Amino acid sequence: MKQLVSLVSALALVVALGATAGAHHSAVQYDFAKSTTITGVVLKFQAINPHMRLTLRVTDEKGTRDLELEGHSTNNMYRAGYRDGLIKVGDKITVTVAPLRDGTEGGYMVAAVTADGTRFGVQSAAERAREREKAEGK
Amino acid sequence: MSRTLVTLVAAALVGSAAALAGQAQQHPDFTGVWTTYSEPGAARGGGPGRGGGPPLPMTDDAQKKVAAYRALIGTSGDTPGGHCLGTGMPGSMLGSGGYPMEIVQRSEQINITYEAHNEVRRVYLGDRIVPMADRVPGRNGHSSAHWEGDTLVVETTHLVEQVDQRYAHSDQAKIVERYRLSTDSAGTRVLTAEMTLTDPVFYTKPVTDTKKWAFVPNGHLLPYECAEEGWRIHLEELEKKAKESK
Repeated sequence: MKQLVSLVSALALVVALGATAGAHHSAVQYDFAKSTTITGVVLKFQAINPHMRLTLRVTDEKGTRDLELEGHSTNNMYRAGYRDGLIKVGDKITVTVAPLRDGTEGGYMVAAVTADGTRFGVQSAAERAREREKAEGK
Repeated sequence: MSRTLVTLVAAALVGSAAALAGQAQQHPDFTGVWTTYSEPGAARGGGPGRGGGPPLPMTDDAQKKVAAYRALIGTSGDTPGGHCLGTGMPGSMLGSGGYPMEIVQRSEQINITYEAHNEVRRVYLGDRIVPMADRVPGRNGHSSAHWEGDTLVVETTHLVEQVDQRYAHSDQAKIVERYRLSTDSAGTRVLTAEMTLTDPVFYTKPVTDTKKWAFVPNGHLLPYECAEEGWRIHLEELEKKAKESK
């Protein structure tokens, strides 16, 4: 899987960045130089283009709320390891997202760890930088 | 005509046909799936065609049109792709943001499918070339081609005016692509496309760019459905209206 992730890398971000036909969010609102993780229970998931759509119910010290996320195209995620059925409603998953620039909770999903531990997704610039630092012993 | 002469003529015709067939087979075969090429050891790139790069030699009118378009979309970052619309030429041939493409080649027609938004170009050769008057304009224009040795020369006309891609252009634009095969130091088959865009309405001189593709052995394109969400939302609105009218 790691190989798949590295293969896709930053590939096709340009096309992936845009909006869904139904709800025209733009990707310029996301900071792709950063990444963070969000864990929650899947309320809704759509493997569609140009962006995957995901609604997560998150419960932590701040309380319980529902977050609507979008992510890379299904095609790019497929090449990065996603397969049909990997994410199901009711699953507890952890997603890696590029956070919103304005600090609002949420983000653009670039990778995920599914309920059974399967990881898929595109390695973010921040992840690549962390791996590089780790490899260099920083 | 004597039997000998008939035999000789027949033999000559068969020989010519065989020679022609052999000649056709000598052209390089671009059939297969190709993805954006990176030099050995270099990081992968998404390819050009969607923004950035040095300033282009645009006419004043073209600059105004592009500026008006950019002001319209503002900081939204809106793109045709975000609305399920393909890039169009030359953005499609310059990489469509890094998605792969597939070429299916016959002697008289070459089909190029770009995975993103399922953009398809049909490139006609020889007797399949469509008369100018019968061509239908579109974002990918209309393409015909001929061979110059091992180089496939594709000419695209009948484009529509587009300001929503890196190489904005008018409907008077003409794009010439020159495709040739090579093999790099790692043994990868590389398809190089040199593009020249000529457009007296939008540019003060021809604009050039190069795109390199790497062959993907036994590669497959994935389907790229994009408009389903809009259709689903439309159905939900219809359902809502139907309930309200009861």
